[in-house]
Amino acid sequence: MNSELIMKVNPFYYREARLLDERCYQQWLALLSDKIEYTVPARHVAQLDNAKRETEAFLNREQEFSNQLLENGMEPPIRDEKYLHLMIRVMRSLKMIAWTENPPARTRRFVSNIEIVSEKENTIDVYSNTLLYYSRHEHDNYLYSYQRQDVLEKQPTDFRLLKRVVLLDNVVINSPSAGLFF
Amino acid sequence: MKTPLPQQLVNDDASLIRREVFTSTEIYQWEKQFIFARSWLFLAHESQIPNPGDYITTYMCETPVIVARGEDKKIHVSLNSCSHRGLPVCRADRGNAKRFICPYHNWSYTVEGALHTVPQEKKLTAPVDKTCLGLKQVPRINSYCGLIFGSFNEEIESLHDYLGDMRWYLDCMFDRYNSGVEVIGSAHKWRINANWKLPVENQLGDVGHGPYLHGSLLKGTPQVDELETFGFNVVPKPGHGLALRLMPENSPVEKCMWGTDGMAAMDKEVNQYLIEKHREVEERLGKVRGRMKCLTYGVYPNFSFLWGNNTIRITHPRGPSQIEYWSWWVVEKNAPDYIKRKLRENYTFFFGPGGVLEQEDAEAWSQQHKGSAIDFMDSTPLYYGLGAGDEQKHTEIPGLTGSCFNELYAREFYKKWRSDIEKGLHAQGLQK
Repeated sequence: MNSELIMKVNPFYYREARLLDERCYQQWLALLSDKIEYTVPARHVAQLDNAKRETEAFLNREQEFSNQLLENGMEPPIRDEKYLHLMIRVMRSLKMIAWTENPPARTRRFVSNIEIVSEKENTIDVYSNTLLYYSRHEHDNYLYSYQRQDVLEKQPTDFRLLKRVVLLDNVVINSPSAGLFF
Repeated sequence: MKTPLPQQLVNDDASLIRREVFTSTEIYQWEKQFIFARSWLFLAHESQIPNPGDYITTYMCETPVIVARGEDKKIHVSLNSCSHRGLPVCRADRGNAKRFICPYHNWSYTVEGALHTVPQEKKLTAPVDKTCLGLKQVPRINSYCGLIFGSFNEEIESLHDYLGDMRWYLDCMFDRYNSGVEVIGSAHKWRINANWKLPVENQLGDVGHGPYLHGSLLKGTPQVDELETFGFNVVPKPGHGLALRLMPENSPVEKCMWGTDGMAAMDKEVNQYLIEKHREVEERLGKVRGRMKCLTYGVYPNFSFLWGNNTIRITHPRGPSQIEYWSWWVVEKNAPDYIKRKLRENYTFFFGPGGVLEQEDAEAWSQQHKGSAIDFMDSTPLYYGLGAGDEQKHTEIPGLTGSCFNELYAREFYKKWRSDIEKGLHAQGLQK
């Protein structure tokens, strides 16, 4: 793998995490392509297929997302958003009467396992893991753990986020909202 | 400290509710025995288990059950607990099975819940009477418009009578289309630190909170003006409730269709679909229901339905201080894929665990729960009296109605709640 590319990708992710933790949501929006597809599929406890036993396909994670990862899948993900939706979320968070942002949460994103999965002419596929610590009010504390499967669009000096699929590790989300920027 | 009597918890007109109603462990035990064990509880929609062997796992209050389509094509509801050592015998959220197998000693059960095989049997000389060791069955199961309900109460009235005039309103969505509706996908599930009655009372008809709690998105929109002008809440039968807008006669079709109008306005094809559907709806349900734009529904005790965003939901209690909220997406079966996708977006962006409006509701419920759990507030019950006395019968639609901000829907719920607790405690007293 192109080590020069990794040297450029890592700072992109660290900067993104810092902007979100510092609540610089408008600056974060600037990291997105205006064609962004942002999805958070819902997960379920799947019944394993006896016909696939003795093979790795037996334990394939994708069955827990049913058809949501497919282009034409109809099952509802938790979120399925474009630039407009994310922009509305950002604009909303800056209002006095956005009661879930005022007072704001204190968050810390730990991004690790950044892996360039493939490189194309204009884009690269990057996977990463994130642990997000969320603390709000006096002591409403929650943890989110997920993998991000991203497509980054190459820019002259850095990247734009073109696609993000957030694979949460929970079936029952143990917090009051999955409406964050993951 | 002794828990107050039901009449001290909820006053006679239910305008004052003591805070421990939302926090007390003892009251929660009463609710389990006298409400959840005695009522019809929503389980699933028939479209989720169309074929023999299809099942989903869910809960009745905190009790795990398997809702399955049997080889006989009938619906069977079994408790998900092995008769031998009590382990769950079904460990997936949904699927299709011939047998449910307990991991411990591999006892196996049919999808209908009968004990099929005890592997140890042939190694023993004494026989095992398998006929009386099936999975415990939920004794009463019935459906209305594809909505499957179950009850632990063998003597409960029919589901038809239990729903009463609520049926007239449920038809508006669940009998709305020639092709019917279907639930697609697994439930979205999330935990909120709140008492189970808080989401329930919200969905029973609290549309008045819209421009306030959700002010960052809704304040000053035409939808809110329309709501305050034509909206009210309805109690078709105490305990059940809904909120709707009844548009005036001769309103143009664009003003009457469904209730996803704000979002439809953004998409031509959805707009066209809703207009076409509106004609179908008038034919099926008549002129009055053709002018009705429903908002939220609640069926006693914990089934809710959010009309404009296509979501049906169950508030599963997890003790007095936490819920597991389940939300399913429901849509017209034969709607074109493009329309379904747009309506799906109209669900997930606003509601469900990632929804911009839903997150604010979760905030309100958990904060109300915090406010209910504080000390030295025995003499300061919560106030549920808004609009008391101005409710009336409506000439066009069944039930008692109150204006948009009348808290009738909640008072009638808590009166029914108090009556159920009183009846239960009384019956227990007689048994002693």
